Amino acid sequence: MRKKQISVILCAALAVTAVLAGCNKDASVENITGNSSYDKLITVDVFDTLANYQGIQSGWFAKVVKDKFNMELNIIAPNVAGGGDTLFQTRSAAGNLGDLIITKTENGRFENMVKAGLLMDMAPVLKEKNVYKNYEDAILNMNKGLAKEGIYAIPSEISSQSPNVSAEGIEPLVAPYLRWDGYKAIGYPEMKTLEDMIPVMKQLQEQIPKSDSGKKTYAISLFKDWDDNMMMIAKNYASLYGYQEIGFVMEKYDGSDFQNIVDSDSYYVKSLHFLFDANQEGLVDPESTTQNYDILSDKYRDGQVLTSLWSWQGQSYYNTRERKEEGKGIMPAFIEDMAPYTDGCYSMGNGKGVIAIGSQAKEPERLAAFIDWMYSPEGMELVSQANGAAGPEGLTWEMKDEKAVYTDYGWKALPNNDVPVPEEWGGGSWKDGVSALNYKPLALVDTDPNTNEPYITTMWSSVLEMNDTPLDTDWQKYAQGAKTTIELLEKKGALSVAPGTSYIQPKESSDITTLRGQCKAVIVDDSWKMVFAADEAEFDSSLQHMQDTVHGLGYDRVLEVDLKNAKDRAATRKTAMDEYARRRK
Amino acid sequence: MVREKIFHVVNYLMFGIITLICAYPFYYMIINTISANDLSANGFINFLPKGFHLENYKQVIRLRGLSAAAVVSVARTILGTACTVFASAYLGFLFTQEKMWHRKFWYRFFVITMYFNAGLIPMFITMKTLHLTNSFWVYVIPTIIQPFYIILVKTYIESIPKSLQEAAEIDGAGILTVFARIILPAAQPIMATVAIFAAVSQWNSFQDTLIYVTDQRLYSLQYLLYTYINQASSLAAMVRSGGTGAISGAVLASRQTPSSIRMTVSVIVVLPILFIYPIFQRFFVKGIMIGSIKG
Amino acid sequence: MRSLPAGKTPRSTIQSRRLFYCIVPFIILCFLFSYFPLYGWIYAFFDYKPPLKLSQCEFVGWKWFKTLFANRTQIGQMIQVMKNTFAMSLLGIATSILPMGFAVFLNEIQCRWFKNLVQTLTTLPNFISWVLVYSVAFCLFTDSGMVNNFLIGHGMIQAPVKFLDSDTHTYLWMTMWNLWKGLGWGAIMYLAAIAGIDPELYDAARVDGANRLQLMKHITIPCLLPTFFVLLMLSIANFLNNGMDQYYVFQNSFNKAHIQVLDLYVYNVGMTGSSLSLATAVSMLKSLVSVTLLLIVNSVSKKTRGETII
Repeated sequence: MRKKQISVILCAALAVTAVLAGCNKDASVENITGNSSYDKLITVDVFDTLANYQGIQSGWFAKVVKDKFNMELNIIAPNVAGGGDTLFQTRSAAGNLGDLIITKTENGRFENMVKAGLLMDMAPVLKEKNVYKNYEDAILNMNKGLAKEGIYAIPSEISSQSPNVSAEGIEPLVAPYLRWDGYKAIGYPEMKTLEDMIPVMKQLQEQIPKSDSGKKTYAISLFKDWDDNMMMIAKNYASLYGYQEIGFVMEKYDGSDFQNIVDSDSYYVKSLHFLFDANQEGLVDPESTTQNYDILSDKYRDGQVLTSLWSWQGQSYYNTRERKEEGKGIMPAFIEDMAPYTDGCYSMGNGKGVIAIGSQAKEPERLAAFIDWMYSPEGMELVSQANGAAGPEGLTWEMKDEKAVYTDYGWKALPNNDVPVPEEWGGGSWKDGVSALNYKPLALVDTDPNTNEPYITTMWSSVLEMNDTPLDTDWQKYAQGAKTTIELLEKKGALSVAPGTSYIQPKESSDITTLRGQCKAVIVDDSWKMVFAADEAEFDSSLQHMQDTVHGLGYDRVLEVDLKNAKDRAATRKTAMDEYARRRK
Repeated sequence: MVREKIFHVVNYLMFGIITLICAYPFYYMIINTISANDLSANGFINFLPKGFHLENYKQVIRLRGLSAAAVVSVARTILGTACTVFASAYLGFLFTQEKMWHRKFWYRFFVITMYFNAGLIPMFITMKTLHLTNSFWVYVIPTIIQPFYIILVKTYIESIPKSLQEAAEIDGAGILTVFARIILPAAQPIMATVAIFAAVSQWNSFQDTLIYVTDQRLYSLQYLLYTYINQASSLAAMVRSGGTGAISGAVLASRQTPSSIRMTVSVIVVLPILFIYPIFQRFFVKGIMIGSIKG
Repeated sequence: MRSLPAGKTPRSTIQSRRLFYCIVPFIILCFLFSYFPLYGWIYAFFDYKPPLKLSQCEFVGWKWFKTLFANRTQIGQMIQVMKNTFAMSLLGIATSILPMGFAVFLNEIQCRWFKNLVQTLTTLPNFISWVLVYSVAFCLFTDSGMVNNFLIGHGMIQAPVKFLDSDTHTYLWMTMWNLWKGLGWGAIMYLAAIAGIDPELYDAARVDGANRLQLMKHITIPCLLPTFFVLLMLSIANFLNNGMDQYYVFQNSFNKAHIQVLDLYVYNVGMTGSSLSLATAVSMLKSLVSVTLLLIVNSVSKKTRGETII
């Protein structure tokens, strides 16, 4: 009997703790008073495939929305809800995706959503709004060729800049990032080609043999989670030379070359060989084959991995303020013949992510006003704060002497730290109040008319000035005065800007999809085997096996489709350039 | 005598080792969730905790909607288990009655349903037609019939001497009286087993919330924690598709790693089950039923 | 047989009908949730693309069923996958006797608190999701993990043993992990059955001079056999359904040849993800195989043991 009593008491204790925890105060929307011109408070269901938070939006952004539109946003996020496409399938089977829909559009999804009657024709409510007047071309371009006439969606990241300007702000898609303290210690050796990086990495490994916690370091460490059509990391080394994938094809940024990845002299296979050579020299972490992304992130945090291809992987995890003050950190080096790929601005909008109003929405007028606001400079500052814009003027930033600067609060809170927000701005924690929509209406690198600087604050002159740690200054010296990676690449003429296009991959027949699934499984597996081959002979035999197997499966049919898509995409890039030139005349 | 002693020593030793092998990974998870996150991430915490802190758990306790989800989970576990146990016992018993009209046919009718699965969309549409979506009852009603438990109970009841039932029937008891007075007390061990299985299954399930429920007040605890884990891991996926990496900076460098979150959640979900066990273990005492019947 | 007055049915038939009426509500429930949704099998004959409604999708007939056997290379892959599936299922069936052994020997433990402790702790692995199991496995068995560090530190080996990304003994390793996860949990059913054995049987046998092993062999095990055979039959029917989670977390390019069972293969080539129709077709085929196996085992049991299992 006693044991039973003890377990009952423990259960009760657990229940009590749970209840008490639930009573904590957070800035729920009921506490915020609105003062907008709309009478009724409505809850808007936002079906958002880009969001990483599910639930009612709270905090400072919620207050803004409530003040202006008397709405609260209930975010439905497939990423968080889990089950992949499950939520989309069940909600569309029920006929109602949501009131506001932010979704990706590829593979025929957008056309099917229109055909299935899930989206509302916004033309009547949108015609008088600013967003339509300013971005009519982009909107009409998005909605042409659909089963039904009308305006069903507005593309994201619409830019007024030339498609030849990089949309990524300060960092390109890929660059050769490495441990700067080590690189400095070995005397900044010059690297002419990618292969030259191998002896440099070897020296780096000798220079920094142990991580911050005492573990052995490796120059390169890989992971397997994100492999899709091919081995992801190898593909990214190919992007260093200006190529971007589309299915099984690597397309050059300017559309001048299309490579078949299983071809023996494609950049993809060259990258695999590069990794193979690195592995032969002992530069690749042997745990790469079995670790997943989480484990690798921990290694980056600790400093066990010395190079990286992505800024947000190496730099974000390792470059804390303390380490930068010590001169330690990961910064981009320069390889003479490289031409890193970067996406250009989307003058016709980025067709891959769009916003739409659901066909069952009750108050389309209000929703259209909300969308219109999102595409305005003020809306952009607030909505895209999640992606690096400034946030509410007066709270996190202000204009001082005609320049946009962070306030003291801004330095503490931005980009999204756990700092309490003053009650009059909405209360709660700053990071909880950030917009969960994760949607970029306009290009972040476009100029905000309110500040005359780009929307993204990391490009503000006042912010760039603050990059003055010993690490930063050392790097800037090497970069001949450039303050950001993209600036450096532009200086050297090495940036491959692929003109932004609103191209969406069209739907493919299910046969091709199935075939693609089979081929990519083979390609990924054999790629890994090639990287970790014991010797050249094994490398070649794995390559041969890959080529033979995929051709046996019917690879050529998929390749045909991909080549066509690649050529179409290249053509739209050219059209985007021409359109922009025409409009600027 | 010596052989007896050797047997016992070996037996105890074997089970000791097996228990250690089974318990160690869980112990590993517990000490890792209460140790400093960076030490844990680098694999330094193997046998003893270092840098004790409860931050991981505090973060989970602070989740919005946690108490409501906990209440939902407790409710569905209790109700669902009760219904399932009753239904399994009832059907398990009735299927042992050979006189039933087409008994074998109906028994197979139930059993083969274990092997087909209609698919996501048809199940969703069925639930919607029955008005079970976004309702608490979607957690209970579809789970009442579990062929596996029916089989277990039926097999067990077949081992109860038929004389007990015959004696009761001679005394004039109807089939339902036999069920309540004779079978239920006698089948306590298997009912306790079904109860454990059903309770654990209810407590751990989150797929049904994922597919059928969108109202946040009906989220089960497991599902809430599942979304919490997803949120942590999906940040990385977002960066990959996003392009501009400005946001990822501070967020990704934060102290909590997805694996520490997963482990914390796992510990929180399993601990209540461990506390419930002793209640059921009472039923696994030998001879508990025969004695009570004969007496 | 007495002849009955006109209009009256024999008592035995009334009784048999009455027994049937007792289960009717449950039959309805079962029908609603298991049989009624099967109309969804029609999706397998269309090219269903959400969010379109089924009526807007193209009818394709048997296409999906033929996809799995489309060309030679494909068939070659399928053969390997089926080999893996068979191996894992066979090993699973072979080790299914272990939970029974576990229960029998646990029953011999006299000390009540130790018994309960063992029973509680050995079920813990069942609750740890496979994702976490892999995290723990990674910590233990990776190149710089605990096991390798121990072996190298004590000079037993020079270079780390590649436990996780080698293809040797994949079947064995997967079976061991399965066993570790399911042993304690699976034994619960047998412990319940043992609790139901009349202690007087044991007393009587002991009086007759039976020793421990004989008690096990003649009393305990025969009481557990019915449960064992039922579970055995259910696992045979589940031959093609190994589940996916376990193999998914452990797979990598190096052990894939042997770790890819049917469920994982179907997932990996994106069949389930990209096409609901194809997934439905695969599921239909598997159901067909399972039910067939069930009926075969049932009739084999009738011929050998004299009674059917279900």
